[in-house]
Amino acid sequence: MGEKIVEELRPFFDPKAVALIGATNKRGKVGNVIFENFKRNRENGSFRGKLYPVNPKLDEIEGYRVYHSVEELPDDTDLAVIAIPAKFVPATMRDIAGKGIKAVIIITGGFGELGEEGKRMEREIYEIAKANGIRVIGPNCVGVYAPDTGVDTVFLPDEKMDRPKSGPIAFVSQSGAFAAAMLDWAAGEDIGIGKMVSYGNKIDVDDADLMDYFIHDDGINVVTFYIEGVKDGRKFIEAAKRITRVKPVVALKAGRTEYGAKAASSHTGSLAGQDVIYDAVFKQTGIIRADDFEHMFDLAKAFARLKGKLPKGDRIGIITDGGGAGVMASDAVARFGLKMAELSEESRRFLKEHFPPHAVVGNPTDVVGDTDAERYRLAIEAFVNDPNVDAVVVIVLFQVPLLEDEKIIDILADYQERSGKPIVAVAMGGRKTEHYAKMLEERGVPVYPTPERGVRALAGLVRYAEYLRKA
Amino acid sequence: MKDEALKVVESVLAQGRTAMVEYEAKQVLRAYGLPVPNEKLAKTLDEALKYAEEIGYPVAMKLMSPQILHKSDAKVVLLNIKTPEELREKWGEIHENARKYRPDAEILGVLIAPMLKPGREVIIGVTEDPQFGHALMFGLGGIFVEVLKDVTFRIIPISERDAEKMIREIKGYPILAGARGEEPADIDAIVELLMKVSELVDELKDYIKEMDLNPVFVYEKGRGAVVVDARIILKVPEEREREIGQSYREKCA
Repeated sequence: MGEKIVEELRPFFDPKAVALIGATNKRGKVGNVIFENFKRNRENGSFRGKLYPVNPKLDEIEGYRVYHSVEELPDDTDLAVIAIPAKFVPATMRDIAGKGIKAVIIITGGFGELGEEGKRMEREIYEIAKANGIRVIGPNCVGVYAPDTGVDTVFLPDEKMDRPKSGPIAFVSQSGAFAAAMLDWAAGEDIGIGKMVSYGNKIDVDDADLMDYFIHDDGINVVTFYIEGVKDGRKFIEAAKRITRVKPVVALKAGRTEYGAKAASSHTGSLAGQDVIYDAVFKQTGIIRADDFEHMFDLAKAFARLKGKLPKGDRIGIITDGGGAGVMASDAVARFGLKMAELSEESRRFLKEHFPPHAVVGNPTDVVGDTDAERYRLAIEAFVNDPNVDAVVVIVLFQVPLLEDEKIIDILADYQERSGKPIVAVAMGGRKTEHYAKMLEERGVPVYPTPERGVRALAGLVRYAEYLRKA
Repeated sequence: MKDEALKVVESVLAQGRTAMVEYEAKQVLRAYGLPVPNEKLAKTLDEALKYAEEIGYPVAMKLMSPQILHKSDAKVVLLNIKTPEELREKWGEIHENARKYRPDAEILGVLIAPMLKPGREVIIGVTEDPQFGHALMFGLGGIFVEVLKDVTFRIIPISERDAEKMIREIKGYPILAGARGEEPADIDAIVELLMKVSELVDELKDYIKEMDLNPVFVYEKGRGAVVVDARIILKVPEEREREIGQSYREKCA
């Protein structure tokens, strides 16, 4: 079944020719922003397909020939993006069916979310799609962002919303506003997003379809979901079980409200709020649940870089050059259900032999404030070789005077690459630290601004690894 | 297993009820091999005396009525009946209590049950979620579920590994594992219980809406567990509802 879904959804992410129905030259209109997105991406070479604006009243927009109807479109059109008022959409869908286009993104809002007439139109659109083998994303959505192929139906103009670079993270969001805000934020944080889908009212393509698609997408290492509600729970569970065997999925579920208490005639019913049911689904399917969007991207960042070297257990080793930060990290280890590793006798002997007497050997190991990069290297060497340690958190306060910044970055990147154990770095500080953090991330070491966030991300890796071991 | 359980389900539905009394619920559980006490439903005092003799004193008496689902509120559970004389006396008392609580109560009989050795109390429940279907709940009984809501859920069907994780992830797990020098409880028996409830509900999902096994007594490792009280709320399968052309109404409670 996997191959079929890949073929069906391919035009959404890599179309040969896009028809933009409702394209316009009026600045700021949805049909104009999307037109500008594709045009810009054609110019910068990321979008290599053709762009066919459709508008009965125009002949040309910025040098592009405008088609007056769907019927007129060239036969190679494989994706239609609809940005016209809701009442015209059903008729347009019939034209699209007649033309043989099999993938449609309906940006237009004003359907099911606005009452009966809208719901009726949605049903009509759905029936046309079903009868003609058309896959639909939307309506009422921002659609797709895929930087590698230059697909960008996000109708927020480039000058108001930054687009993130590409990367191994897929991001799926029901809410369009949240999706747009997240893209903008990810761009600011320098987090790479390989594909974003926002499906709005999801009359057709849903979370389960996208999970099945992303299983086969080699460019994607981790899939993140912002979920408001799931329509077909069983389909979701089956698809989730399939994908989590292959790659990690992180979900942020909104709406932690309880409805279960109402009309419950049994004890169990009164305890079964929506939230605990989602918790159950996530645990059973190996989906890692995020508490908030920061947590979601902290996890995504860790998975994106460390998917190939998941921890073999839950015993965490901590190396720090500041005592307080080490205590904070130890607290976090307990709070997120992990264990502090017991260093082996051999590691202790090795470190005591090489360390000055005022450095603290143990877990955490404190290389103290007069450390240089070499002292860090010795500690990392001992920790990654210690059979009692499954993962290492290295806290680097770049502010200390004798630490050679480039050298410590080299050392961390080197051990991340060579050792089988995941290394997560924590760098607390201001602008200068941020600069080093970026350098570290580029070299494959996920960096977090606080010990809590670093350990919490690592806990997600541990949970996922546990799920895979027992699945 | 399914056929035997369905017979009970069908007969309850045929009476126009969706709430099973404890006795009926336990017959469904027994059909799936869940551990229930050796109990008998007495319709007359003579039957009650006979069953009590067979089971051996002391016994417990529980009055079964579709209109009385909260038995302790109605004082229709009488424990530790030691002699035939006492049973005769309590037979009148239990019926009177039922009439006082609900004058219109239809009485199906009195369950004569052995007095059980107390164990660690757990609760196993089932509810139906509109999106994901039936979910299984597990927790420690009594104050742990009432006040602390220390329970966990999984969607049915569950795997053995899900069952094991459920038991270990509740906060009260140390109580089962053996806190403060206590013998550990029979965790394997709980796993088996959870698996069997999952199987039962998966097979009867068109009929079962909700279920509470509360309490379940769990004994020391190797000594098993027993379902002390049980409730099942049925639903009328959709095709049946159409067939009959009218919806069943819950007559009880």
